[in-house]
Amino acid sequence: MLSMFAFSDAQPLAPQRLFNLGPIPFTNSMLFGLVAAVIVIGLFGLAAKASQLWPKSRLAFNVETFIDLVFGLMLESFGNRQKALKHFPLLFTLFVFILINNLSGLLPGVDTITVTVAGVSVSLFRSWTTDLNATLAMAIISLSTVHFYAIKDIGAKGYVHHFFSGNLKNPMTYFIGVNELFGELLRLVTLSLRLFGVIYGGEALLSAIAVLAGNFGWAATLPIMFLEIFVSLVQAYLFMMLTASYIVMSTSHGESETHGVVTPSGAQA
Amino acid sequence: MQHVDPAFIKGLTIGLGAIGPAVGVGMIGSAVVGAVGRNPEIQGRILSTAFIMIGLVDAVFAFVLLILFTT
Repeated sequence: MLSMFAFSDAQPLAPQRLFNLGPIPFTNSMLFGLVAAVIVIGLFGLAAKASQLWPKSRLAFNVETFIDLVFGLMLESFGNRQKALKHFPLLFTLFVFILINNLSGLLPGVDTITVTVAGVSVSLFRSWTTDLNATLAMAIISLSTVHFYAIKDIGAKGYVHHFFSGNLKNPMTYFIGVNELFGELLRLVTLSLRLFGVIYGGEALLSAIAVLAGNFGWAATLPIMFLEIFVSLVQAYLFMMLTASYIVMSTSHGESETHGVVTPSGAQA
Repeated sequence: MQHVDPAFIKGLTIGLGAIGPAVGVGMIGSAVVGAVGRNPEIQGRILSTAFIMIGLVDAVFAFVLLILFTT
């Protein structure tokens, strides 16, 4: 009965090396991340080239509708249209890239086409977000952007004051400040591990259900595939909205709470 | 309890670990329905916030799944 959990179909936790590029190993998830990047850049580059005021090409029209949709979703958490436009390229890139990489784990051929590397059979493609290196890199980029814009908008003194707010003579201030700093580090961990855990756990669940169902694997994995599509969408949206919320929370320190009546955006820039 | 069956531990992990996220998502759902009932105009914003919270709770369940399938 223990062999039910010892399935051999699922991917191991760490992505496997395909070949070496000099000193750096090139893994199968890196390869598929490159493929997804080429696809995304090609698609949006073509749409950008064909975009006009009244676009004639259907691709440009659909891409513009999609961008408008995502911008509308994001505008609510920013409140200020100029600020939203400033941060929109990064957030939209995060959303689209994470979405396409999450969904790519469901394509036929991913995890099933294998090559033999040094005598071990290794799958050729593996979804990029099932690689903890990848989600950690994205989390580092997002949080670096948050801190960079925090220092740029409030200034270094305001940034330190954001953590160590309160009476400087009171030792409790330092204790709370250290806790806040630890919370910032924890954001890195939770942002990367959440995306990795959800997508990798979903793939492992899919493999386990396929092994458990035996001959009826094709029917039993169908609801799990729908769950995976839903979870991919939610996690991509969540990553983008969390980054947007962190940016808003760390750069709006010092403005009054009643924005929307009068927006002092001129005073900030 | 000198020798514990690993399958038993895995079953216990998934059984106890699924209670928390299920209750959490249920509470978010009930709050969403209550809020939309009071103020149906901002249904879009309420739903967006609800999906963010569901994503956060879903991640906890994913951690449980991750531990289950990798040990």
